[in-house]
Amino acid sequence: MTTSDARVRMVGVDLQENDDSRAIVDAIEEDNPDVVISRMPGLVRVQRPHRLVVNQASVERHIGRPWETHEFQLSIISYFGHIDEWDDDEIVVAWDH
Amino acid sequence: MQYELRTQVVDQRRSTFSYLEPRLGGKPATRYEEGSVGIQPKENFHYRPLWAPDHELYGADWSALQLADPDAFRDPRQYYYAPYVAKRAEMHDAFGKTIDYLDERGLLARLPDTWRRLLTEVVLPLRHYESGAQLLTVLGSRFANGTTVAQCCSYAAFDRVGNAQLLSRVGISLAEGSDALLATAKQAWLEESSLQGLRRMIEELLLEPDWGVGLFSLDLLDRAVYALLYRHLDTVALLDGAGPYSLVVQHLNSWFDDQRRWVDALVAAWLSDAEHGPANRALLTDIVAARLPQVQEAVEALARGIDERIDDEGVAAAAEILTGLRAGLTGQQLLEGKPA
Repeated sequence: MTTSDARVRMVGVDLQENDDSRAIVDAIEEDNPDVVISRMPGLVRVQRPHRLVVNQASVERHIGRPWETHEFQLSIISYFGHIDEWDDDEIVVAWDH
Repeated sequence: MQYELRTQVVDQRRSTFSYLEPRLGGKPATRYEEGSVGIQPKENFHYRPLWAPDHELYGADWSALQLADPDAFRDPRQYYYAPYVAKRAEMHDAFGKTIDYLDERGLLARLPDTWRRLLTEVVLPLRHYESGAQLLTVLGSRFANGTTVAQCCSYAAFDRVGNAQLLSRVGISLAEGSDALLATAKQAWLEESSLQGLRRMIEELLLEPDWGVGLFSLDLLDRAVYALLYRHLDTVALLDGAGPYSLVVQHLNSWFDDQRRWVDALVAAWLSDAEHGPANRALLTDIVAARLPQVQEAVEALARGIDERIDDEGVAAAAEILTGLRAGLTGQQLLEGKPA
């Protein structure tokens, strides 16, 4: 039995709802077309088919101060997908198979 | 018996203040936006000011430099009261530590005589430059249209007082706790020949009723003065055995980087404005044409003053800084490109 390839596999992150995360969500929204954002009390779920990118430069522009990618740890509650890259300039969440 | 656990989400009635909602399109507002956007009154003013009966209390017509939608401007640093105050407290703490370090080891007293002269005769008097810059900037905090712009001006004006205080504290430390050097610095501001260009420009700008014109002109001067005194001399000091100078001015350097961010953003907003962009560009070009020669003269005099006191090539450095400033303005198409 094989699962259908046509099934869309989402990746995504759950972030705390606070001022810093809002800037991160804005940056993700800007860099990833078709991203789905659901806001719940206390948390924001950001998801997208296959691949989600967080660019350090975009976050810095929205947050108004220097921001390093490891600060993402402070906002993140949970994620689904595979963390493909966690570099100084970007974080990529994607399925690698 | 079986329980099924489900989450139920109750949608918020509103995500932010009702006057912000249409602007943000349902997205939650940041604290900065809630505290800055759309705060200034725009209508229903009862009385016009007696001292300016041709204006309303607040409005676009206080400056010829206008934005079609001033509330669309954002401070790139997103300062509202709390982060601004926290940031500056940090800066002044760091400066206090520097001064304590210098005091404990008597490093300012051991500055080479040449650098001591430079500090007391040329750099300390600039507390009056900062004070003039404060008056120029604070005009914007009253007359700028839109809180997001006025707020930046207010903070920049506070910053200028802070910068003057930094310089004063250096003067007090240099004089081992007395204000004697500050008194001579005042005299130097009035009489020292290398500073008269700066004083002249500041005092002329104080007569400028348009806050935007004053702010932009001051920024032209700032860019040259800060680059020469605090960035160029910073390097020279380190190589010339005047480390304390560098320790002190690093704080002014990092402040100026911070200041640039919002001024650059405001100028970019003026230039790219859909409605007023061309008029703003014409006016800014006129200001550059009128003020740049004056900036050049003032900074060249300042550089000669530096060269008289320490072994430096300040005049050459000033020329390089002015070329850089010109290139930047040419890049923004505020100055006609001339072959170098």
